[in-house]
Amino acid sequence: MSPRTARGSRSAVIMAEQPGTVSLSVDGRPLEVSPGTLLIEACKSASIEVPSFCYYPGLSLQAACRMCLVEIEKAPKLQTACTVIVQPGMVVRTATPQVAEARKAMLEFLLTNHPLDCPVCDKGGECELQDMVFRYGAAESRFEEEKEHQPEQQFSPVVYFDYPRCILCFRCVRVCDEAMDVKALGIGQRGVRSVILPNRADGTLECEECGMCVDICPVGALTSHQYRYKTRPWEMKYVGTPCAHCGDGCKTTLNVRNNEILRGNNRDQTGINREFLCLKGRYAGDFVRHPERLRQPLLRRDGRLEPVGWEEAFEFVARRLREIAGKHGPDSVGFIGSNRTTNEENYLLQRFARTVIGTNNVDHHRTADYAALVAALSGGSARFAASGEVTRASAILLIGNDPTHNHPLLAYNIRAAVRLRGARLYCINAREIKLRRQAAQFVQVPAGAEPAALEALHDDAGEMDNDTRAALKQLRAALAKEANVIILFGAELWGRAVQRLVEFGNSLPGVTRYIALGDYANSRGAADLGLLPDRLPGYGPVSDSQARQAWEKLWKTTLPSSPGLHARQMLSGEKLRALYVVGANPVKTFGLANNRQALGAMELLVIHELFLTETAQLADVVLPAACAYEKEGTLTNTCGEVQRLARPLDPVGGRSDFEILRLLSHALERPVPLRTPEAALEEIRRHVPGYRVSHSALLSGQAVLTAPENGHAPVDTPAGLVFSSDDSLFTSGTLGRFSPTLNSVHERNVPRSQL
Amino acid sequence: MALELSPKLNQRFQDLLARYAVKRSALVPMLLFAQDEFGYVSEELIGHLAQVLDLRRMEVAETVSYYSMLRRQPAGRHHLQICTNVACMLRGAQPILTHVERRCGVPPKTPTPDGTFSYEEVECIGACTGAPALQVNYDFCENLTVPAVDKLMNDLQAGRKPPPIPFTSGAVRATPHPAEVRVLTSRFGLPDSTSIDTFLQHDGYQALEKALKQMTPEQIIDAVKRSNLRGRGGAGFPTGMKWGFVPKESAKPKYVIANADESEPGTCKDRPLMELDPHQLIEGMIIAGRAVGAHRGFVYIRGEYRTVMETLDGAIAEAYERGYLGKNILESGFDFDLCTHTGAGAYECGEESALMESLEGKRGYPRIRPPFPAVVGLYGCPTVLNNVETLSAVGPIIHKGAEWYASLGTPRNGGTRLFCLSGHVNRPGIYELPMGFPLRRMIEEVAGGMREGKKCKAVIPGGSSVPVLTANQLDTPMDFDSVAKAGSMLGSGGVMVMDEDTCMVEVARRIAHFYAHESCGWCIPCREGTAWLRKMLDRFHEGGGHAQDIDQLKVLSQNMLGKTFCPLGDAAAMPIISLVDKFREEFEAHLSTGGCPLARPVAAAAR
Repeated sequence: MSPRTARGSRSAVIMAEQPGTVSLSVDGRPLEVSPGTLLIEACKSASIEVPSFCYYPGLSLQAACRMCLVEIEKAPKLQTACTVIVQPGMVVRTATPQVAEARKAMLEFLLTNHPLDCPVCDKGGECELQDMVFRYGAAESRFEEEKEHQPEQQFSPVVYFDYPRCILCFRCVRVCDEAMDVKALGIGQRGVRSVILPNRADGTLECEECGMCVDICPVGALTSHQYRYKTRPWEMKYVGTPCAHCGDGCKTTLNVRNNEILRGNNRDQTGINREFLCLKGRYAGDFVRHPERLRQPLLRRDGRLEPVGWEEAFEFVARRLREIAGKHGPDSVGFIGSNRTTNEENYLLQRFARTVIGTNNVDHHRTADYAALVAALSGGSARFAASGEVTRASAILLIGNDPTHNHPLLAYNIRAAVRLRGARLYCINAREIKLRRQAAQFVQVPAGAEPAALEALHDDAGEMDNDTRAALKQLRAALAKEANVIILFGAELWGRAVQRLVEFGNSLPGVTRYIALGDYANSRGAADLGLLPDRLPGYGPVSDSQARQAWEKLWKTTLPSSPGLHARQMLSGEKLRALYVVGANPVKTFGLANNRQALGAMELLVIHELFLTETAQLADVVLPAACAYEKEGTLTNTCGEVQRLARPLDPVGGRSDFEILRLLSHALERPVPLRTPEAALEEIRRHVPGYRVSHSALLSGQAVLTAPENGHAPVDTPAGLVFSSDDSLFTSGTLGRFSPTLNSVHERNVPRSQL
Repeated sequence: MALELSPKLNQRFQDLLARYAVKRSALVPMLLFAQDEFGYVSEELIGHLAQVLDLRRMEVAETVSYYSMLRRQPAGRHHLQICTNVACMLRGAQPILTHVERRCGVPPKTPTPDGTFSYEEVECIGACTGAPALQVNYDFCENLTVPAVDKLMNDLQAGRKPPPIPFTSGAVRATPHPAEVRVLTSRFGLPDSTSIDTFLQHDGYQALEKALKQMTPEQIIDAVKRSNLRGRGGAGFPTGMKWGFVPKESAKPKYVIANADESEPGTCKDRPLMELDPHQLIEGMIIAGRAVGAHRGFVYIRGEYRTVMETLDGAIAEAYERGYLGKNILESGFDFDLCTHTGAGAYECGEESALMESLEGKRGYPRIRPPFPAVVGLYGCPTVLNNVETLSAVGPIIHKGAEWYASLGTPRNGGTRLFCLSGHVNRPGIYELPMGFPLRRMIEEVAGGMREGKKCKAVIPGGSSVPVLTANQLDTPMDFDSVAKAGSMLGSGGVMVMDEDTCMVEVARRIAHFYAHESCGWCIPCREGTAWLRKMLDRFHEGGGHAQDIDQLKVLSQNMLGKTFCPLGDAAAMPIISLVDKFREEFEAHLSTGGCPLARPVAAAAR
């Protein structure tokens, strides 16, 4: 497939912010707004409602629904407020009989072919058409002809289309084309027979299945598989909480009834993701109620895992840990933590390992080298970019990763920056990723050659063929003209390459900021809170006595001073006698054979999990865990933004990892004095550098950017530890494997280059 | 995707791919030419074009489904497209359609079992002065009767293809009517009138020489302003002023487009202007290019006018050969390239911004204005877009002088106008008459009076989009301002004359059908309003009307008027409002008789 340039179908939308103000009058009220403001936005800023269906901020202008017709003095006829740019002295009236009549007329036209099936329509109660008719419409319809009809269609396992309800505002078509750069939806036929078309010849969709079309539909024309005919909107509670899947940390508003998630959406658009959610955030909360979800502790007896009570499980684990640590020393025990447990749980886990057991054998699957970035940036301030800042960037350098699949929100923001702000995107990648379409320059390098490309970017050094070298030289020249570049990089750069990246960034004009791209909901939090064998929470080296002393004082203990085993060493089967895994699947992640022999002399394998994964199947004890939607705590997204989980659900059977660890510490008779996640957060806020985040901001659902630093302690990342799972839009590690929705879409089997 | 193209089609594709600044522009012509070869637009073809033009499948599929000439199913070898729009309806199109339906015995757009025929009812094909008319594939068959259609089908069935008619019926007369002032039609009727030699022998390209060698661009624009030439497409906007809006300095290229999408029901004047005197249009376009500083022109011609496009293509080739097009025209240093571009069936594409969208290979949706095409037009570049008749008048204006041209008409309405007189007159035809010529004389003298001595009941003076005039208004002088004063519009020059036996409810019904069929569907009031009007009028005409429907027809129309995205909504509303206002008693009569009181036996109407 040849590259295509990004394009919007019609006129551009966002005007550059211009200095000064324009004075105008609306309904007799004087208004002052920035030059270039659309009249409809000017009215909105003064709380004067001008109704519209087709106008949608950030999408191209349409002027099709004609709901926003207003009177403007000296104009011969009514004008659409969504296309008129404010002019000095403009006199506008939005509440005249003529305007009211026009609105009534448009609604009457719309209702001619719109079925009045509101009582059984999923959108009833949150339908913009219903609301508008209530406010502006006529009491009765004069239409007595036959309505246009076509049967409902299923566009995909996720998206349903009910033709008669569609009011043809084309929001779905525009969001899919302009914001998503997918254009899986189009318009077919014309006139009253106009219809929304899916992109495949057989009348189905091949797309990113993001559900943006469903979310943006003002009426019940596009609905989702999960929600159809299930409930009424007022019967649910709406809980905004960070998504459990990727590292972007979108806020998804889970719509819950009877402890069941019926859909996710971005109802209030207050998250860092604003209007955006992908398939996972919207519909992949369905792993929670997967029938294979673990609900009871399992204990291996006679080679088989059998359900037992919690007490028995705790007793067994405590006894065995005591025995092994007593016999072989604390360093015979190792801990592999999770990319999706909370900051408080991660903090507690490393504290448990270091203080209750007394070992630095703590690690996790590192999907980005945050430690190296923090080390390289220490000393500078405000060098981490928040996800929203990408949207406002003027220049972006992306090295490695495939954000469209690995970081859908950041990909969305990058596209928005290019589309709405004219930002330049520069890419170095081994694959022809989709974002190349937005790129001002795209340099393809051989897989694994990203660090070499970085060297070539520095100073023409590094192993590189001549064409690539020339392309990188050109890229360097372009970047040298940019100020305030945001650099995003994937797991392709780790260790020293990250240091070199920051050196390169420092050579660019303005303030260069960084985002390391890691895979899962709390990859960043795992690293920040010390799930590393050589780093304490906040990246203080374990070998640094000063760093150690601060924590020793707090925890009233002595900490081991030599770095522990990293994940691969722990799994090598040579050194450990007991492995304690929390919310991870190292057997699969690190490619081990699916049997206990692979773990060598390991006498005890304990795991907290949601499902019986490859690792859990080998375990001696499996403790059922609660997921991110069932517990309290905070997550840090890949950019470093902390958000609070809102616990929309009660656990279906398991316990939070926090509670499990705390109870285990009691069973071991070495209780950790942190009773609740709140208490742990308080300790984190006070003691982890960079984590002094505002409580009130977290409680009000905001994302707070952290700024960790480790005081220039160099990082020596061993090879083979930093790598991405490279999940697609349709996979999400363990959680994704148990999401019926993610498993239902056919695109998971379509090569990425074809999507 | 392997798609076998014939060498001819392959060549066409190569030419089209080389033709446009933006590849996608080739999409609609490629689709139509490929359909000519394969019979329909297959999924394979969509995939092929998506690949060739670097588009997504969806972008091709969206465009395909917009244009009414593009089919996703095969048609018969001879596809009969029967016009039933007002001008043809008035002269008996319905019985022809009924006969063809019966003879084919299959639903519309479906091939007969032996694959010989298929048929469909179509909107105005621009043969109003030869009504009733149909097209067999691209060939026009005019002045039909049921027996004539039968014979035509017999011949086609037997493999005898009748020779195509050379030009629009009623365009050429052995002796022109003395009232005619033949400026644009001066070469009509000359032997071989399309050839460049004929053109050159009769003042051809002299205006161009003058414009290129003796005049500055400003002087050309000034002359057009002084000539009082106003847009002949329908809106009557002063042409010179339009050209003046084009920025003189532009970093982007500029374009001149001739709007040859002639689709306004009742209008068939651009067709003969191109069929009979294509060089006159070419000359006008080059001069327009010179005036605004454009070096590239397109003639956007409706897809139904394939034979006309071929004539024009021939003329363009001649002009290139003789150095009137291309580089350094007449050693003046001025370059101008010109080509035709086919549409594929969409009235909306006659609206200038929708036309440009269509030319860019997209669905023919109108654009938000401002910005206007003079500043942001084709490919976002400054663009001058004029009707064929308007551009054809440029040569004579430059050649014979602005004042001379202006003096032919009335104040502020310069020159002559091609009036297409159709309907119940004795001599339907295209007559070039001075602006301001009285309507009554047009009907009674020029067109030979009413057929069968009937009385005139109503006249649609400027294409179906304008309010109807009654028999009391026949003394209206036919220029923009006077017709506006009479409450209607001069529009496109399509004058449809209706006699006393015409059912005005039926006329309203047929008009409503047209706009419902042609509404692009972009904006709510037009999309829903035109369909609602159509459904109501169908019911009403069949006898299912209620008393309150009459007022409601008007209210509905008024709810569209002035509120739609583009003028199509107004065009649908205005005639309905005027018909209800002026012929209310006919609507009322439908209520009391429970159907159409004027319904005539089918046979009588089809003579």
